[in-house]
Amino acid sequence: MINFYYAYQPIIDFFLLSVGFGYSQQIALRAGVFSIATAGFAALGAYVVAILVTRYDVPIWATVVLGMAVSGGVGFLLSLPLARLRGAFQAIATLAFVQIVLSLLLYGEDFTGGALGVTGIPRVLNTWMLLAVVAVVMYVMWSIGRTGLGRVFDALRQEESVASSLGVNIGRYHALAFILSGAIGGLFGGLQSLYVFQIEPHNFGFAFMVNVLTVVILGGRTTLLGPIMGAAIMAILPELARPLAEYRPAVNGIILILVITFLPNGVGDEIVFWFRRRKTAKKAQALAAAQKEQEARDAVTSS
Amino acid sequence: MLAQQILNGLVTGSVSALFSLGFTLIFGVQKLLNFAHGAIFMAGAFIAYYCTISGLPFLLSIGFAMVATGLIAILTDFVAFRTLRKRGNAEFPALVSSIGVDLVLISIAQQVSKTQVLNFPFGTFPIKFYEIMGLRISLLQIVIPALVAVLVAALIFYLKKTTFGRQVRAVATNERAAALLGVNAQSVYLQTFFIAGALAGLAGVLIGLLFNSMQFLMGEPYMLRAFVVVVIGGLGSVQGAIVAYLPSGLTDAIIFALLFLVLLVRPNGLFGNVSAVAGGTRQ
Repeated sequence: MINFYYAYQPIIDFFLLSVGFGYSQQIALRAGVFSIATAGFAALGAYVVAILVTRYDVPIWATVVLGMAVSGGVGFLLSLPLARLRGAFQAIATLAFVQIVLSLLLYGEDFTGGALGVTGIPRVLNTWMLLAVVAVVMYVMWSIGRTGLGRVFDALRQEESVASSLGVNIGRYHALAFILSGAIGGLFGGLQSLYVFQIEPHNFGFAFMVNVLTVVILGGRTTLLGPIMGAAIMAILPELARPLAEYRPAVNGIILILVITFLPNGVGDEIVFWFRRRKTAKKAQALAAAQKEQEARDAVTSS
Repeated sequence: MLAQQILNGLVTGSVSALFSLGFTLIFGVQKLLNFAHGAIFMAGAFIAYYCTISGLPFLLSIGFAMVATGLIAILTDFVAFRTLRKRGNAEFPALVSSIGVDLVLISIAQQVSKTQVLNFPFGTFPIKFYEIMGLRISLLQIVIPALVAVLVAALIFYLKKTTFGRQVRAVATNERAAALLGVNAQSVYLQTFFIAGALAGLAGVLIGLLFNSMQFLMGEPYMLRAFVVVVIGGLGSVQGAIVAYLPSGLTDAIIFALLFLVLLVRPNGLFGNVSAVAGGTRQ
């Protein structure tokens, strides 16, 4: 076990970070917001942590919390104008947000280090800490799913006008989804800073966006298992497909097309749905059996 | 000096307009964002390059590249969009699957070019310079805007005046109603994708000629720019895509802030029609 851990530690850590970013993306999609802003949130969180730690001697855990707060706050601000947009237009606006963040990081050279980014960030994170943070985020996501908030998000995703007619304040819940997405994205952006020694704007570009999106699409957009399955497949696949290493983007692309076309709910969601269906089927079966028994008993007593 | 800058901006801008045209055409007809458009643009430049170095006359290789990219675009429609369209509510899934196509094309190009920067052989296009009122203008800088102007005029004529064009616009407005009136929506989709792909391919060749450097990621900045151009001009509006091209030189921060602003103030773009609903409850 210990050997296994040492051999695959980077992959495990990469997997845990992907799961975190996946949840940030998922909470937005779950509420019916076509946001691809996670890359921007992650960049903000990462830079807040990196700059504060390397230059201002702020306690490390305080910087992570601050990065999370900044990203969450920006998420809230972003949600105000975006309340006016839907669908593809929302996706483009969030894409524009990511580009604005990246180009500000690139041009604000005195403060952000420009294209070179921030270097010399202490590496304080280990796998267990990452695991603990992921567990906490999973708990938060689980509680959201179990309460009215999760049901509101599901309703908004499935049919906005119905949700609205049932008295759901669309703007408020979309804002909440953006805040959550921003806070989780910023949190894991900050953690990534504390793991990789050095960050630059390029880390959070198109490739990052595609990776995060792949994790959620592959895994699933509504269940807790979704991003875990997605990130696991993304982490294990390159190991299995070593001979195809040079064509890795192509393999990712083909998987994206196949999954979205033939398994639109994602692997993780399909598994959960299958278990749910089986459970309800069993329940129905048990109910039918009980009914039959009752009828038989009635027949006996009446005769 | 400023005039020279404006001239350079005009030439690159006209090629960008050509690129954005196809993108906005697909959005106008299908209401889908085709993320693979940048990769198709790149494929055009690559195909023309490999045709030229294998000895084909340059004009023939351009034609070949345009046909090939048109077919790649049709293939994109088959692979990434068709099944999703049938299921309905395809906006987000189509975005994802077209990113998939984008990754595949880029990866193939990377392997074919071995991650090298490609240049057209010297003298592929005659290099001549003219001095007009103190401006240095190359032959290419005259040919490109002229060619773009002709193509755009042809496209507008095609969309507004011909029967095919009316069918395209009918499908764009309401696919079901158009189908009931006997319009073959499938053939309209094939046409729009072919045109969009061919225009992107041509834009790729022209940009490759203009800067004489091509590499497998060359589509990405144009793709991001196209969003801006197309949103400001109005998604789905052809004239808008032409008018709204931006002279290069503005920093990305300003450009994307502008995009954001236009999306909020005039979500249908400065030239957009109201048929594409940006806000309100999703239909």
